[in-house]
Amino acid sequence: MSWKDTLGARIPDDLGREIDTYENQIALKRQGKIDDKVFAETRLRRGAYGQRYDNGQRNDGTGVKLLPFPSDGQTKGPDTVWDAPGMQRIKIPFGGLTADQMDTLANLSEEYSDGVCHITTRQDIQLHFVHIDDTPELMRRLAAVGITTREACGNTVRNVTACPLSGVCRDETFDVTPYAEASMHFLLGHPDTQDFGRKFKVAFSGCREHACGLVNMHDFGGIAVTREVNGTIERGFEVYVGGGLGAVPHEAKLFDPFLTEEEVLPTLQAISRVFARLGEKRNRARARIKFLVAQLGIDEFRRLVKEERDALAPDERWSAYLDDVPAQGERPLHAGAPLETAPNSGAFQTWVGTNVYRQRQAGYVVATITLSLGDLSGWQLRRLADLARRFVGDAIRTTVEQNIVLRWVREADLPELHRELDSIGLAQPGAGTVADITACPGTDTCKLGIASSRGLAAELERQLVDQMSSLDESARNLRIKVSGCFNSCGQHHISDLGFYGVSRHASGHVVPHFQVLLGGKWVENGGSYGLAIGAVPSKNIPEVVRRVTSRFVEERLENETFYDFASRIGKRTLKEILKDLMAIPGREERPDFFRDWGDPREFGIGDMGVGECAGEVVSLTEFDLAGAESQVFEAQLALEENDPTRADQLAYGAMLQAAKGLIKTEFIDISDEPTQIVMEFRTRFYDTEVFFDKYARGKFANYLFRRHEQPGPATERDTARRLIEEAQLFLEATHACQARLASMPSPPKAGSAPSPGGVQ
Amino acid sequence: MTDAAARIGTLQRIALKIFLDEETVLDPRDVIPVFHRWIQTSAVDGLLIDVADYSHMTSGPSVLLATHEGYYAIEQSGGRLGLQYARRADQEGELADRLHAAARTLVKAGRLLETNDTLDGRVRFRGDQLECLANDRLRAPNRGETMEAFRPTFERLLSTMGPDDDWSLTQEIDERERFSVLATSDSGAALDLLEARLR
Repeated sequence: MSWKDTLGARIPDDLGREIDTYENQIALKRQGKIDDKVFAETRLRRGAYGQRYDNGQRNDGTGVKLLPFPSDGQTKGPDTVWDAPGMQRIKIPFGGLTADQMDTLANLSEEYSDGVCHITTRQDIQLHFVHIDDTPELMRRLAAVGITTREACGNTVRNVTACPLSGVCRDETFDVTPYAEASMHFLLGHPDTQDFGRKFKVAFSGCREHACGLVNMHDFGGIAVTREVNGTIERGFEVYVGGGLGAVPHEAKLFDPFLTEEEVLPTLQAISRVFARLGEKRNRARARIKFLVAQLGIDEFRRLVKEERDALAPDERWSAYLDDVPAQGERPLHAGAPLETAPNSGAFQTWVGTNVYRQRQAGYVVATITLSLGDLSGWQLRRLADLARRFVGDAIRTTVEQNIVLRWVREADLPELHRELDSIGLAQPGAGTVADITACPGTDTCKLGIASSRGLAAELERQLVDQMSSLDESARNLRIKVSGCFNSCGQHHISDLGFYGVSRHASGHVVPHFQVLLGGKWVENGGSYGLAIGAVPSKNIPEVVRRVTSRFVEERLENETFYDFASRIGKRTLKEILKDLMAIPGREERPDFFRDWGDPREFGIGDMGVGECAGEVVSLTEFDLAGAESQVFEAQLALEENDPTRADQLAYGAMLQAAKGLIKTEFIDISDEPTQIVMEFRTRFYDTEVFFDKYARGKFANYLFRRHEQPGPATERDTARRLIEEAQLFLEATHACQARLASMPSPPKAGSAPSPGGVQ
Repeated sequence: MTDAAARIGTLQRIALKIFLDEETVLDPRDVIPVFHRWIQTSAVDGLLIDVADYSHMTSGPSVLLATHEGYYAIEQSGGRLGLQYARRADQEGELADRLHAAARTLVKAGRLLETNDTLDGRVRFRGDQLECLANDRLRAPNRGETMEAFRPTFERLLSTMGPDDDWSLTQEIDERERFSVLATSDSGAALDLLEARLR
C-alpha cells in the first residue's frame, strides 16, 4: 500500500520519474553504493535538509550526550545519521498557493512532521522532524498537487520569489508574476544551472520603492519598468545582480537599466552559464555570484554575460510564455463590493488597520494572516484553505515576512472573513508592524544556529503585542528581524532593528548574545543594510529594543525614518545608548544570562574549566578582542563619514588585533608587526586548524590573509564595507576559538618562544 | 477481512491524547524545563532528542518533546489542552499491541507530569476521555468503514483501561481531517490506576 499506487496518474510523469530515481538513490545509499557527499547533495537538491543534532549528539545541559539512533552506522551525508530527523523545504514559486495545495501541505505536516507548517523568509514552506525514508512519499503527494521540491536546496536556482502584492499593488508598474513563474519553469533542471559552486536566488518586484520584492539582496533581481517606443509602451526590467546577505552582505549592482521582457530568460541563462563557468567551486565561502561580480567588476561581468548571451542557441521557451502574459492573472471569485458599514468592534478595526491593504482594483482588498514566527498548525492551514475557497479561490500567497495573504477579498466580506479567521486563531492583528517579527529557525532546528532567534523573537513579540496600543505610530511601524547566526536567513540586515546570534565568553562560560544592527532599510527592495553596533547579551535585547525605539520616538524629526534618524544621530551615539547593556553580569547575580530564551540548559558546552594560567592569558586576549571590537566600530563610523580608506585600515587593524590576541594564548611576546602577526596566526591557528569552525572551516581566517596580501587600503566604499563585515566575522570566529581553547583541560602556556606548531 | 480492516491492521502512526481536567491551569511553557529534564534523565520511553517551543501558536502542539519514535506534546487542538503521544516509528506486533504500547507510554508520561515537583501538583488529567487519531490518511482515511474496522481494537484497549466503564465513541466527522475517535466513559480512573492496568 503506497501513495505512489493510490495517486497513480495524478502524479505528473516527469515528477514521478524524478521521485522514483530519488527513491532508488535512497536505496542505493542504504546499500553503501553512493558516496556520502554525493548523496547529501542529491537529497539537498530535493529539499531534504539536515537538522540540528543529526550528527547524533546533543548537549542536554549536563554535557554532550550521544543520541543512539538505531541507524547501524548508516549516514545520509558526512556526519549525518540516517535516522536523525531532518527538515523538508518545499518551494513555493512566488509564494503562490492553491487551496488544494494548502490541504496537502497541511496533511503532510501532520503525517510526516510535527503538525506545524513553517513559512520561510523566501516564501517557502518547511516541515521539521521529517524522516528521510518518508520523503519520497511526501514528494509524490506534493507532485500530485503540482508542487516539486526539486532544487529547493543545494547549489541550484532556489525558489524564485516575488512581491506578494504583484498584480494587485497600487504602486506597481505591472504584475511580475508571469515572469517569476516563467523563470522558475525555465531554470528548473536546466542543464546550464546544474554546475554552480553555490546557490542562486532570483526575485522580481513590481516597483522600486517598497521592500516586498527584496531585489537588492538577490543574485538576480528584476524591477518592473516600462518605456515608450514609437508610441508603444514596452515592458522590461531594471535588472540587478550580485546582491546577497549571508555572512558578508553585498548590495546588488545595476546590470541593465532596461532589459526587455523578451531578454529576461536568455539573460538568466547567460548569467547562469557565466556563473557556472567562472564562479568559485572549491571555496564555498566565496562561491556566491556576488563574489564573482565583485571580483570581475560589474562592467566586465556584464560584458561576459552579453558575450555569452550572443552565443546562445535560440530557445523558443524564451518568449513562448509572453503571448499568454496579458491573459494571465487571477480572476476574482466574487464581484467587488465596498464595505458599507464596518462593525463597531475594536478587534476588527485594529485588524483592518494593520492587516488589510486596499487593492488597486476597486472593491477588493488583500488580507494578511499574521503568523507568529511563521508557524501555523496543519489544522489551521486546512481551515484557511476552506476560507480561501469561500472568499478568494486560489488567490493566496506566502510572504517573505512569514505571513500568508489572501488576495481579491471583496471588501464587503471583511467582517465575515475576520470572524472566521478569529474562529481558527488566525485573526492576529499587527501585520507589518514592530510586533510582526521575522526570525529564522536558529538553534531550534538549524545546525548552524548560534543563539535562539525564535526564542528572542517570541519574547519580543509577547512584549510588543502588549505595548502596541500605547506605542507611538512611528515605533509601531518599525521592523525587527532576527537571525540565529551571521548567515542572515532572518534577513537582519534589511530591518530597522536587526539581530543575529553570536556568543561571548565570560568567567569560563559561554553567554548567548545578539549582534545589534541598526538602520537597515525595509524599503526600496531592501535598499540599504544596517551595520553592527555591538554584541549585547541575549537577555538584554528587549531593553535594547525599548531604549532604541523610545529614543527614536522622542528625538525623531518630523517624518524622519528610522534609517535617517540612525544616520543623523550616528552610530557612536547609538552605541552610547546601549553601552551598559553590553556588559555581562556575574553568573551568581544573573544566571539567566547564561541560558538562552526558552531553554533552561546552560548555554553552549556547559561547565567549562579554565586554568589559572589560562585565565591570565585569556584576560590579555580579551583585552585585544575588545580593542578589535572598537576598531571595527570605528571603521563603521569612518565609512559613515565617507572615508573608505580609513575604514579599511581600521577593519584590517581590527583583524590583526584579534589575531594577535589569540596568538597571545601561546606566544605572549608577539609584536605589532602585521606580517609577523599573520605569519604566527597562520602557523599556530590556521595550519593546525585550531581556528577552524566545524562548518565554516577556515573561511574567516582567509579574510585576514586576503586583506594582508592586498597592496594597499581600499578606496571604494563597497570594498571597505565588505571588509568591515569580514572583520566582524573574523572577530566572531576569534571569540569562538578563544572559547574553545578556554574549554580545553590543559590550555597552552603563555610566554613561550615563537615556534611553529600549535595547540595540541 | 474487509479492505478497511486490512489497511487499519498495518497502521503504525497512532497518536493518543489525554486531556487536562477543568481545574488545571497550565502555561505550556512551564513544561519546557520538565521536558528538558526528562531528556537528561531518560524519564520517559524512547530516544529523546529535543524540545520544541510552539507556545506562540494558537492550535496544534504547544510544547513538544521530539523523540526518534515520535513525539510527546502539550497539545491544544480543539481548544483543549492535553498531553499527546504520537508514535511514528514502526513497531512490531498487532495493531492492538501497538495501541496498548502507545497508551502505556502516554499514561506514564502523564503520571510524571502530575507528580512533577516543579509543576507543584497543578497538573491533573482526566481519566474519562481518550482521543485516538491516525496520522496516516492512506491506511486510515476518515470514513465510517475505518471506524468499523478500528472499533474492536480500540474497544479492547478501552476495556483494559476502564473494564467496568461504559465507553462511548465519537468520530470526527470531517472526512478531510485525520481519522480520530474520542472515547468518553461515564467514570474515569486516575492515571496511576490506568498505569497499573496498562502495565
